[in-house]
Amino acid sequence: MTAIVTVFGITVTVGAYALSLVAGRRYPCPLTTPVLFSTVIVIAVLLASGISFSDYAPAKGIMTFLLGPATVALAIPLYKNRQAFFGNIVPAIVGLLCGSLGTMIVAGILAGLFRFGPELVSSIAIKSTTVPIAVVIATIVHGNPALTAAFVVITGMIGASFGPWLMDRLGIRHPVSRGLALGTISHGQGTAQAAIESQLSGAVAGVAMGLGAVCTSLAAPWIIPLFLR
Amino acid sequence: MSTAFQILPETGPPAAGERQQPAAFKVIALISLQLIGLWALNRIGFWVAASTGLPVPGNLIGMVGLYALLALGIVRLSWVEAAGSILIRHLAFFFVPITVGLMDMGALFAAHAVGIAVTLTVSAAIGVLLAGWVSQLLLRDAAPEAGP
Repeated sequence: MTAIVTVFGITVTVGAYALSLVAGRRYPCPLTTPVLFSTVIVIAVLLASGISFSDYAPAKGIMTFLLGPATVALAIPLYKNRQAFFGNIVPAIVGLLCGSLGTMIVAGILAGLFRFGPELVSSIAIKSTTVPIAVVIATIVHGNPALTAAFVVITGMIGASFGPWLMDRLGIRHPVSRGLALGTISHGQGTAQAAIESQLSGAVAGVAMGLGAVCTSLAAPWIIPLFLR
Repeated sequence: MSTAFQILPETGPPAAGERQQPAAFKVIALISLQLIGLWALNRIGFWVAASTGLPVPGNLIGMVGLYALLALGIVRLSWVEAAGSILIRHLAFFFVPITVGLMDMGALFAAHAVGIAVTLTVSAAIGVLLAGWVSQLLLRDAAPEAGP
């Protein structure tokens, strides 16, 4: 029975993802991005067929087997684009630290004001890190990986859609700064948006995404406990 | 084109019918080998995290490790690029099984919907502002002609 459910879970997930690629190409909009579109379909199918998340867990284990190697592979764009970032090392690093730590602290303070529980606070504070690294930080800081992944994806959408608009209003026009802000706050989705603006912005964003993950990983275990009182 | 399926690891040689296409077999073998290399770096990363007790994600250590190997010229880009680009192109696929976990969290989301929306929006806006504004200020100091 477990084997059948597992095969079914994998088939549904791969199918939903393949469908999301087609839908995203035909109707490109935030609702047809692969993660949102596929997740909604998979949850709907599982609920309709009476399969719980714990029944789905073995399928999840098989499908996320390559997530770790994929994270390691993020070093490739980091390496290819290093010149764009390190050519402006001081402004880039200082901006990255301010953005990365700033967004975590603001999220932590707001989460405290809204009286979220400790699991929710830990999960939301690290939402500017790319998903594969965020879900591992979540386990380190006692957050919930699924919540964290959702917050990360939503943050990616918010930053990629409103970030450029906000920066236009604030007079942030330098392509390095725009790429840095999008990559630091909205990771992969922000990097894709920055790449549309200019090649330089996209390259800086890709490196900012990777180094932002390093920064959040190192800081989160020290900063998050401050919000959990 | 069923690119969605390429993310699964290829095991064993292809069927006998593919004998006439050694190129396809070579590509699959190369990608498999590269996947094993990336997988090994990931395992080493988690092993380092566990054995040192550092509160750092093992896959992040693996990523920094690969960057160091590339920067030092020990590993060439062409050794990891074929498998790496496939994994990165379909990175979003691996997030789906994780976010499906939200099916158990509808009540939590509903109870805190406004707080979550405000927290995510405001912290993202302030983050964009800080990263963009601070870096631009420093870029203009360094090269005044860069600003509009």
